[in-house]
Amino acid sequence: MTQDIQDRLNAYITAQIMKQPGRTLGADEALISGGLIDSFSLVDLALFVEESFGVRIDDTELNAQTFDNLGQLAALIQGRI
Amino acid sequence: MTLAQIGIFAALGLLAGAVQTRLPRRWAMLALSVLAVFWLQPALPIRGLDFWLPLVSLGLSAAVWAITLPSGIRAERRDGIAGLVILALALGVALTRHLPGLCCLTPSRPPETLPVLIALAAFVGLVWLAARGFGRQPWTLHARVAALALIFVILKSEPLTGAAAAGLRSLAGQNPALAAPVDIRWLGFSYLAFRLIHVLRDRLSGRLPVLHLDEFLTYAVFFPALTAGPIDRIERFQKDLQADFRMDATRLQAAGERLAQGLFMKFVLGDGLALFALNPQNAAQVQTGGWAWLLLYAYALRLFFDFAGYTHIAIGLGLLFGVRLSENFNRPYLQPNLTAFWNTWHMTLTSWLRAYIFSPFTRALRARRWPAGPIILLSQLLTMLLVGLWHGITWNFIIWGLWHGLGLFVHNRWAGWAKDRPALPPRLAALGGGLLTFHFVALGWVWFALPTPQLAGRVLRVLLGGAP
Amino acid sequence: MSDSARFLRNVLIKAALLFAAANLLFTALDPLPWLGGLSLYNSLLPGRPRFPFGERPDQAYNLSLNSLEAMFASHELAAGLKPADEFRVLLIGDSSVWGFLLENEDTLAAQMNAAALRTKHGRTVRVYNLGYPTISLTKDLLILDEAMSYQPDLILWLVTLESLPYNKQIFTPLVQYNPARARALIAEYGLAIDPDAPEFADLSFWQRTLIGQRRPLADLLRLQLYGFPWAATSIDQYYPESYTPRADDLPPVMAYYDLEVDYSAKDVAFDVLAAGVARAGGVPVLIVNEPMFIAAGQNSDFRYNFFYPKWAYDRYRQLLANEAAAHGWLYADLWQAVDNGEYTNSAIHLTPRGEAVLAQELLRLLEPFINP
Repeated sequence: MTQDIQDRLNAYITAQIMKQPGRTLGADEALISGGLIDSFSLVDLALFVEESFGVRIDDTELNAQTFDNLGQLAALIQGRI
Repeated sequence: MTLAQIGIFAALGLLAGAVQTRLPRRWAMLALSVLAVFWLQPALPIRGLDFWLPLVSLGLSAAVWAITLPSGIRAERRDGIAGLVILALALGVALTRHLPGLCCLTPSRPPETLPVLIALAAFVGLVWLAARGFGRQPWTLHARVAALALIFVILKSEPLTGAAAAGLRSLAGQNPALAAPVDIRWLGFSYLAFRLIHVLRDRLSGRLPVLHLDEFLTYAVFFPALTAGPIDRIERFQKDLQADFRMDATRLQAAGERLAQGLFMKFVLGDGLALFALNPQNAAQVQTGGWAWLLLYAYALRLFFDFAGYTHIAIGLGLLFGVRLSENFNRPYLQPNLTAFWNTWHMTLTSWLRAYIFSPFTRALRARRWPAGPIILLSQLLTMLLVGLWHGITWNFIIWGLWHGLGLFVHNRWAGWAKDRPALPPRLAALGGGLLTFHFVALGWVWFALPTPQLAGRVLRVLLGGAP
Repeated sequence: MSDSARFLRNVLIKAALLFAAANLLFTALDPLPWLGGLSLYNSLLPGRPRFPFGERPDQAYNLSLNSLEAMFASHELAAGLKPADEFRVLLIGDSSVWGFLLENEDTLAAQMNAAALRTKHGRTVRVYNLGYPTISLTKDLLILDEAMSYQPDLILWLVTLESLPYNKQIFTPLVQYNPARARALIAEYGLAIDPDAPEFADLSFWQRTLIGQRRPLADLLRLQLYGFPWAATSIDQYYPESYTPRADDLPPVMAYYDLEVDYSAKDVAFDVLAAGVARAGGVPVLIVNEPMFIAAGQNSDFRYNFFYPKWAYDRYRQLLANEAAAHGWLYADLWQAVDNGEYTNSAIHLTPRGEAVLAQELLRLLEPFINP
């Protein structure tokens, strides 16, 4: 289940945010602190998560302390489904 | 905080470290924070105001705690005790007016006891009602946010502060014609207001943990962070308060390192650079571009060493009491671009604004399917404009905010454009980007450091080689 | 004991030991004079055209300090070796020479330089402002003593009666805080000044430690740092919006210090003047009685101005002329060389125009020395 979430997140982030479709992100690759996702794309990511999984990520959670990689984000979503 | 005050806090921290049990430590931190609100407040020329403002800081914090209690949760015995402790301390401070020997807790003699008792009773009534469940509807929470924002606007706008000072002078029976904006220097309000708004907003979004009054008040007016931040987040702060804490050599060493680093940065480097940093006086006098750049570089470094040094001191003091306050700076001047600069400069303020302004605003527009470009432009301008206004409502802070808002937008577009194009060697790009970013920021400081557009314009002309 | 605790204990012990050692070493070596000689001026920064002095550092980018070494090191006089084609003239005196309320281009030295005088042999006459605000001949002597190592060709020493009373000699901090130098001069020239006067600041052991000397050390550092805003703005004193002009109405006081009406040359510090001339050796010293304002208001029938009752000043002029003649001093009396309208906030502070007039007078007096 978590792997499925991770795959869908990976597809979205690489294609829509990084504009590098086909790339695979590691589960622990730093997304926010590593500069791969800026604060604007983070909002897009939150909207995507809300539409795809029905899980709301609050504005106060859009930071590296809450989640900084695919694994953490998937776990967060998993916990709220 | 002066050197003496920092020394006293550090000594108290060592003392608290010697007391190894958790409970007394927690109450000691509350008591110290309450007393420090009065002690750190600078003297004000309006009679009694340097007592009233700290009292209002405490009252506002307690009221916000009460109305942010989740529905169905009622105050406990522990909260009642905390309320009594706060009341007793505030009253004790007020009663020092009858003990001329106990001079040093408030900057001037506290006001008469009867009005203090009336004010305390009013606060108790408000807090009690809210804690019983009255006035906890969303609209009252919104109203509190608006009220805090309004006080903020009054304090940050010189004409409004002046008018308020005139009003307060009349109330105190003093000559209103002598009113000046500096009459109302409310220590720590900028930071306190942002902490309280953060709590109110998180209550509205349902993300606030259950808090006790003593935890909340310690968070709101925690003495190391009272004067100049960091702003911190309550759920993080609460974890530290609830954690078991034993002072040991490792922690002591960490605290000592932060304190030493901060003292050196603020009182040696910062204060040294201040002697030749750009200021309104030398801005009007400097004649040639080369020297103007030197004054500006000195200003840029001074601002960093002063503020980052202060943060080190705050974090060091916090560590002595078992609290690891949020970091506020992470080598901002060594960043390769403006976005990275703003992710590393005054981080607690920028993440606050990102959480409560930038992201909600962006999300609202994005949900309406606006294209990315205009949204980024608008939300960056709005956010940075607010960062500017947070420092003061003047034309120069507005221009400074817009300068950075535009800069962030341009960098965002450029980064997107450059992604697919052949780049310079990475080290060269980082160096060039770093130099460019630093100078962009430094030129922005001209607006930040000087009070009027005329003066800033003069310095910019001189910087760029023009005639003064 | 954990590793961390041991580390912390070692850090504390080492810090305490280093702290004690640094203080002891500082006391033993007394490096302040040497540190005073280290300067950013005349290398990274230009040299200052007048000595550092000021009570409002943040507005003047300047401050008063007691290190003669630092004062000279920051002065343009210390910029490299004396050029071969320079005829070097040093101006010594009080605040009127330093240029109170005057910008640097209006001081006496600057206005003399503006004439761009040359000797017959093509040497450029260059005048240096070594005036220092506080009135005491002994303070002047300290400066002259140090200045001799800068190879002057001529010294102009502007004096007034106020700098002569014995109880003014060690009243100024520059003398009090340089007791060793002052005592050496007192001993060498047999000056009638008490070398054990309590005004001399003899530091205790604790005052000589690093901690005890933190103030003078900070002053050295601040002098360097203020060099940057000074160089950026060329401002080196605080100019008030307005000032109280020199008094025209005078206090009804006949007394002047503790001098008797028929006081003699021994009652005032002519020996310090003599010491200066002797210290200069072969370098000619031209002593100049400086111009002063002559009041016309209340009590001006028996007083000249705020400083002087007429009897005391008249007697001083007469004595100084006699002493000069008796010892063969080069002497010029310019007490009335400048119009009464050209004084600013004191009976001896001149306007730019007043300084210009005095500069012309002095240049005229210079002629025989430049082209003997």
